[in-house]
Amino acid sequence: MINLLALLVQRTKPLTLKQIRQELAGQYPESDTAARAAFERDKGDLRALGIPIELITLGGDQAGEGAYRVDRKSFELGDLGLTEEERSALQFAMATVRVGASHGDEALWKLGGERALNAQSTSLNIQLDDELMATLADGVVEHRTLKFSYKGEMRSVDPYGLLARAGFWYLVGFDQLRADRRTFRVDRIEGDISVGDRGSFSRPKDFDLQKAVPTEAELLAEGHGDDAVATVLVDASLAGGVRTQFGKQAVMKEHADGSVEFAIPCANLTAFRVWLFAMVDHATVIGPPRVREQVISWLTEQAGGR
Amino acid sequence: MAMRKSRRGPRGAAERVEGLLVMLPWLISRKRVKLSDMAKQFKLSEKELMNDLMMAAMCGVPPYTPDALIDVFVDEDEVVAEVPLMFSRPLQLNSAELFALQAMGSAALSMPGADKKGPLASALKKLKPLLPKGDAVVEVDVRAVKFLPEAQHAVANGQFVAIDYFSPISGTHSSRTIFPRAVFEQMGHWYVRADDDQSGEIRNFRIDRIKQFTPTGKTSDPIIEGVEAEVDFFGTDMETATLLVRPAAMRLVETYPYISREPQSDGSVKIELAVGSQQWLGRLLLRGGDAIDVLEPAKWVDLGKHTAQTVLKRYS
Repeated sequence: MINLLALLVQRTKPLTLKQIRQELAGQYPESDTAARAAFERDKGDLRALGIPIELITLGGDQAGEGAYRVDRKSFELGDLGLTEEERSALQFAMATVRVGASHGDEALWKLGGERALNAQSTSLNIQLDDELMATLADGVVEHRTLKFSYKGEMRSVDPYGLLARAGFWYLVGFDQLRADRRTFRVDRIEGDISVGDRGSFSRPKDFDLQKAVPTEAELLAEGHGDDAVATVLVDASLAGGVRTQFGKQAVMKEHADGSVEFAIPCANLTAFRVWLFAMVDHATVIGPPRVREQVISWLTEQAGGR
Repeated sequence: MAMRKSRRGPRGAAERVEGLLVMLPWLISRKRVKLSDMAKQFKLSEKELMNDLMMAAMCGVPPYTPDALIDVFVDEDEVVAEVPLMFSRPLQLNSAELFALQAMGSAALSMPGADKKGPLASALKKLKPLLPKGDAVVEVDVRAVKFLPEAQHAVANGQFVAIDYFSPISGTHSSRTIFPRAVFEQMGHWYVRADDDQSGEIRNFRIDRIKQFTPTGKTSDPIIEGVEAEVDFFGTDMETATLLVRPAAMRLVETYPYISREPQSDGSVKIELAVGSQQWLGRLLLRGGDAIDVLEPAKWVDLGKHTAQTVLKRYS
């Protein structure tokens, strides 16, 4: 296969299969049928590597005959002008951020870099396996529609992008079944994913991947509750985490014992409950009265009923 | 397109060719590389690499005279490719490789303290035209956390650190001296792996639960322990619980790894989970409210009720 590629790259003119067989004497079977089959197999393998072999129809004395050629530009990576410093930065980042699949190492090698062989002091794990990453990447990079089963239904999705957040990968795209934009957790996709044709959709110009998947804070604010904001007293032990999550602007009052009163969005009461009770008995809703009463009602029901 | 795609057994011809088309430009740009280093870099044994290089050295263009063959050979313990006759340029990046670079770049630039105008940012900018219409198709959110830079600094400099650590399981604070070996992020949380003077063991501490982080002034040679795979926080001896989860709590429960999952005809799902502690399960049941029931074991059937009673005391 390498000899075939070398031959087609080095020769300036397209070669017919007969010429190829003559040049690569002894490398293809004697029988025309077997030689054709072996050549087609090599051609397919090279195409799978991203090396297309073009078929040209000849004119003149060889009118109508097919000939083959490979254009270097179609498979060679052009000079990106990366500096050594930039290449080192890519290497360091790739060693720190573990994408799981080996595609990252392969990209680095193609860019002339090296994968880190030493242990790294910091690592960020956003792992996807080789096959899943390749499939999803084909979808989002080459604009191919993906078909998969999700929650027991077959979905046909034009994938606009993938977001990794809080340990999970989310696929955002246009769901043809729902005729609307939807978000899918990648680890909940059931079975194999089939990939459609290249360029089968266009991504909306105004699409914003970050905004497409709401954060927990945004989820709390997305609702129709009577009260938009609750005052929550959080014990000193957990106040730091809440401050990081909602920012300094959420701090209403700091107490001498380290506990802090925060203004927390609560328009979505279901999401608010999930968030609040994660702190168990380290947080109390102070107001407004309606929200506090709702929390007491939830607790009373659960404490007495089950 | 890994150098070793097949986990076991010999690699196929196409896989070896694919590997060579990546290795040759890499080697030609360096001219000479130690055989052992190159084998390690490409995740091959030295024998496998030698065989691949020998195969390459026999390839070229007719008439296959020495000057028409791929010029690669092993000189003592070095691989040499000094004459770039062919295959000196790398293959184009495929979709998965572009995706991996974008994901890594987005994550690295989101990390606290990242230089958003530095060499990584400029490298990614140069790669952007390779994406169709320059789309950013992948992004990674990295949560900022207090003491993360300090923990990274402690690992790199072999610092002993006094910490005040809050354990939500026991609801208590403890003061410990730790010797950090690695900092890693998993499931959206940052951890520091360190020698812990209190237990005498290597422990993983969630950084957002560290309330004080003070270098003691004592240092030692840094021990950098890479965390290459996901850390199994559950272990094999952990208790399990079987829950009946209704749709309203599915999103909550699905954020945790499960052992088994069995959809029921009414839309609920029977899920078996590893339980880190009774407190952890109590918190999950409280958050899920009447959308979660414990089916097994019997000792935890009323755990949600008892947890709610404890919290209710804060409101009395």
